[in-house]
Amino acid sequence: MAHDHAVDTAHHDHHDEPATGIKRWLFATNHKDIGTMYLVFSLIMFFIGGAMAMVIRAELFKPGLQLVDPGFFNQMTTMHALVMIFGAVMPSFVGLANWMIPLQVGAPDMALPRMNNFSFWILPFAFTILLASLFVPGGAPAGGWTMYPPLFLQGGNYVAMAIFAVHLMGASSIMGAINVIVTIMNMRAPGMNLLKMPLFCWSWLITAYLLIAVMRLISV
Amino acid sequence: MRFTRASVDHRLPQPEGTSRPRGFPWAVALGAAAFAAETATANTSNGYNLPIGVTDLSQSMYALHMEVFWICVGIAVVVFGAMIYSLVKFRRSLGAVPDTTMVHSTKVEVIWTIIPVIILVVMAVPAADLILKQEDTRNSQLSIRVTGYQWKWQYQYMDAGEGVDFFSTLKQDSNFARQLGSGTDPKSVPNYLLDVDKPLVIPSGTKVRLLLTSMDVIHAWWVPDFGAKRSAIPGFVNELWFKVDAGKEGIYRGQCAALCGRDHGFMPVVVDVRTPDDFKKWVEEQKGAAKQAAAANAGAPGAGSSVTGSPTAAIVLPPTAHVLN
Repeated sequence: MAHDHAVDTAHHDHHDEPATGIKRWLFATNHKDIGTMYLVFSLIMFFIGGAMAMVIRAELFKPGLQLVDPGFFNQMTTMHALVMIFGAVMPSFVGLANWMIPLQVGAPDMALPRMNNFSFWILPFAFTILLASLFVPGGAPAGGWTMYPPLFLQGGNYVAMAIFAVHLMGASSIMGAINVIVTIMNMRAPGMNLLKMPLFCWSWLITAYLLIAVMRLISV
Repeated sequence: MRFTRASVDHRLPQPEGTSRPRGFPWAVALGAAAFAAETATANTSNGYNLPIGVTDLSQSMYALHMEVFWICVGIAVVVFGAMIYSLVKFRRSLGAVPDTTMVHSTKVEVIWTIIPVIILVVMAVPAADLILKQEDTRNSQLSIRVTGYQWKWQYQYMDAGEGVDFFSTLKQDSNFARQLGSGTDPKSVPNYLLDVDKPLVIPSGTKVRLLLTSMDVIHAWWVPDFGAKRSAIPGFVNELWFKVDAGKEGIYRGQCAALCGRDHGFMPVVVDVRTPDDFKKWVEEQKGAAKQAAAANAGAPGAGSSVTGSPTAAIVLPPTAHVLN
């Protein structure tokens, strides 16, 4: 990993060059790259959730059961919702927030760039756990995406996996929300007062507060 | 905001054969009127609307629903009408110039707050009234304990029906047809997935109160024609009442309405509404059959009873950790 650069004997601080390759994405701290990662991730999750919806639609096309066991059908319904809500909708909104908010309030970046990156990288891990539950004995969560007990607790392996995954996603959302609030409240350009701020930033400001208040309910 | 034409008419020449949509507002009004006419007497058998139903409650629900629906239609016509009209009549290609002089008007803001408040109150009063009526289980004439199981219902009668106790499971022909690879066309099964071996029997013209609970997970008891749906939660007893109008005897079908596992879609609710006299006869028959079965069991200690359950009046709560009270 040694770069041959001229002369700087004092120290090898090569921060003037942007990272390339995998390091660019793994260690991103700029809102545009992170926003792009969120959007690409949410697109992939959209297709996965969409595939599950297609299984539902194929089975419901005609009366009677043609394709899937009723237990597996419930797994598809539950997973479709969990993947779409926590994997497609929320990350896409956060990705758009990351892209748009600094640009719209005139800030150089989001307030907490490294926490921003961490928030994103939690998600692929969380969804690996959730999607892996499809392949463990007992299958994927089948108790509804609202995860009501006692039905949800009748599951086997998926209970722990789903709850852990949802906790991770919740942590990611909470940190993202904190980031949004701090950026909007503290880093607006001079002259950009709250009443001049675009509606998108306003809706994200309110959403961020709601997320912080509500996310604990989903996890606990 | 008012849009004004520019002083010089920049209107573009109209190409041959086109005209501005003069009749458009009338088309919208006519469409709305046709829709209104069709749904005014509507019934529900087309499956698009709520059923008017056979109980007082269901008829009140239908009326409230239509009332709120027409308010929403009215609001939509006004809002979308004004919007579409402005978009079309004052478009830039016709030379419209936005009016920038009107920035703030307290009077307008007060008006467009007060009118929605009035609309909300008009909707809320009958709604609150109906909810209170739904909760009023006083003076019930017949109470029945309904217990949800995975995946069937248990009905235990109280009052005049004390001692009648049975399970209600999906009928065999439906159960067979719905299996994967059964080879049977569901269309050949009458009342596919909406039929049971032993339906709940109740008298018409009687205020019936159901006490709903569950032995395992959350279920929900639902019959659309009664306007009746309530959750059956383990550790809780929920009350639900309805009074089927006299003269509306017959079979009414519903389903379990809360996800309860693998066979949630295969535990229907069927209610057989009979005249009070027929109901009394039926209760006598059931009690008689129960006595016979009990006598038979007394003679053969090893035989399992499939007809009666425990005749105690107390509701048996599941002895599990998730009893909350």
